[in-house]
Amino acid sequence: MLFAFALYSFASSNNGAININWANPVNSAQANDVIPADSATNIPSTTTPAVTANQTPQFVAPKLKRSDYPRLKGGIRSRSLVWIDAQMHLFFGALVLAVPIFVLVIELIGVKTGDARYDDMAHEFMRISLTAYAITALFGGTLALALFLLYPGLMNYLMQVFGAQMMVYAVLFFLESMTLYIYYYGWDALRYGNKKWLHLSIGLLLNGVGTTLMVLANSWVTFTMAPSGVNEVGAVVGDIWAIMKGPLWNPINLHRFIANIAFGGAVVGAYAAYKFLAAKTQEQRAHYDWMGYTSNFIAILAFLPLPFAGYWLMAEIYAYSQQMGITAMGGILAWLFIVQAVLIGTILLAGNYYLWSGMSRTEGSLRYQGSIKYIAVTLVICFLVWVTPHTLILTAPEIAALGGSHHNILGPLGIMPAKNIAVNLMLIATFLSFQLYRRSNKVATVSWEKTGNIILVAIYLVAVVNIMFAGVYYGYFTNTVYKVGSSVMQVVSTLVVIVSGIVIDSLMFKKAKILPSSWGKVSNRSQYALFALPVAFTWLMALMGYVRSSVRTHWHVYTIVKDNSPDNFIPTIGYAGNMMTIVTVLFLLFVLFIFWIASLATTKQPPLALGESA
Amino acid sequence: MKSEIVNWAVILLVVSLVFYGLDHLVMLMQGLPLNLDLTPVQ
Repeated sequence: MLFAFALYSFASSNNGAININWANPVNSAQANDVIPADSATNIPSTTTPAVTANQTPQFVAPKLKRSDYPRLKGGIRSRSLVWIDAQMHLFFGALVLAVPIFVLVIELIGVKTGDARYDDMAHEFMRISLTAYAITALFGGTLALALFLLYPGLMNYLMQVFGAQMMVYAVLFFLESMTLYIYYYGWDALRYGNKKWLHLSIGLLLNGVGTTLMVLANSWVTFTMAPSGVNEVGAVVGDIWAIMKGPLWNPINLHRFIANIAFGGAVVGAYAAYKFLAAKTQEQRAHYDWMGYTSNFIAILAFLPLPFAGYWLMAEIYAYSQQMGITAMGGILAWLFIVQAVLIGTILLAGNYYLWSGMSRTEGSLRYQGSIKYIAVTLVICFLVWVTPHTLILTAPEIAALGGSHHNILGPLGIMPAKNIAVNLMLIATFLSFQLYRRSNKVATVSWEKTGNIILVAIYLVAVVNIMFAGVYYGYFTNTVYKVGSSVMQVVSTLVVIVSGIVIDSLMFKKAKILPSSWGKVSNRSQYALFALPVAFTWLMALMGYVRSSVRTHWHVYTIVKDNSPDNFIPTIGYAGNMMTIVTVLFLLFVLFIFWIASLATTKQPPLALGESA
Repeated sequence: MKSEIVNWAVILLVVSLVFYGLDHLVMLMQGLPLNLDLTPVQ
């Protein structure tokens, strides 16, 4: 993708020479060839006369006509093509950016503990990322080509707005490629002593560059949703920071950063499950069981704060444009949040089930197995509350029988206060599973164990009561402002449980007696839970990507560039559902291909015996 | 046994007070002050 952007930036500048003024790179890069819009069409044109000396070089957003959109033959819709390409690029981009983040952490743990297993596992994770990297670039390249071919007017405008920033992206992409290859291929050459620190530094650089790439690309997306740094006709009035730093940029940055890690953890977890089920020796089963556990740990840990980041993003969307927020959560798209609840419920149930199954690795878990049924009941009840819709699609006789469009019991459960309670309790229940799993192979030796446990139980109890109180009282009996504000109170309660749980357990089990764990002694069933995670995560990303993109309604760039293509409407849920399914299945097929390639890289054919033919 | 019950009571009280204080703080930071009984001021 960046190659095309870079090429375009280069080609659209005068004689290929770009003079960049870093204080205002857009205007300076385009100063020679960007001129005021044609008065009739407002479409910037490079054929109109140059501006006079006393005029500020300016361009405005184009007013696109139906004829400005090239059409594909064979009944293929431009939007569908770009949709699939963009989603695939995002899936692989998320994987490629996330894996090196936790690989670096695992590698550092390996250095600190001196346990070579961490190092080997981190290296194996990187093998998946490396194969996925090439596929990411391929989808990125085809996405860029598709955008420039099918939406030339829009892309011309975006290129003029972002201008030199695209070149920065291109440079960073080269740096990302170089550091990625050095990081992976230099693993064994830089394995011990000071060289290991050099290797870790390269990993840090790789992650720094990767994260910067992500936030740059995010600014393109958030500009189309909530444009900044431009006036009402789309002319640039600020510098590149003003353009990038729109109201949704940081919420999207945080949300994608966390979500990518959860997604990456889920995908490599599926790889471990695949290898576990295919393992022929106990040693292999033990290795891939441990790898699967680590992946699930990463995915669930990153997933726990994700709803809060999503909540912040939605709050900012509402703050930017109430109409946009209502389009997302109050109209036809609101039903998709019920589907989202089903998918998140699947993720939490699968993640919990894997942890409960994993307890069979150690006999120490017998102490906690009685608690599992209560956690399961809590999860199921909360899940049912979360998937309860506010409104139902009913016939007239059904409405008459019900006495209105809202059920008198289920109606109150369909609104946000009930769902906020459900989400927070599900997260707390998941953290409890996680905590019990972590404790199952340890026996505390500190004198304050009993007091520590009482404090922990008290925190859980009071947090749960506080979350339910805030949801019920402020959600149903006070005004809207307090209702919304109290959700932060609930989030803080959940975070207090998580943080205090980690702190207390870290101190309590610092010098604990460790009970033996039998890695590899876990049911095959649990491995299917690891497969369920990436499937649900992928579908979830496709679903919410559709929602995020659809809130722009009939605008390419919200309120600035109107979409006049034949697809300038929100696609129906049924059609979108088919598209999401196609991209999810396609991604999973590619993932299987990556797993196969990663296995192939370590497969060695035994030498042929003398006289034996191939 | 008695000391354990006292332990539980004291810890529950302290934790409840911490959460009570947090509730006030979190709402105040959003410009939504609460009365002592946690009802909205506005």
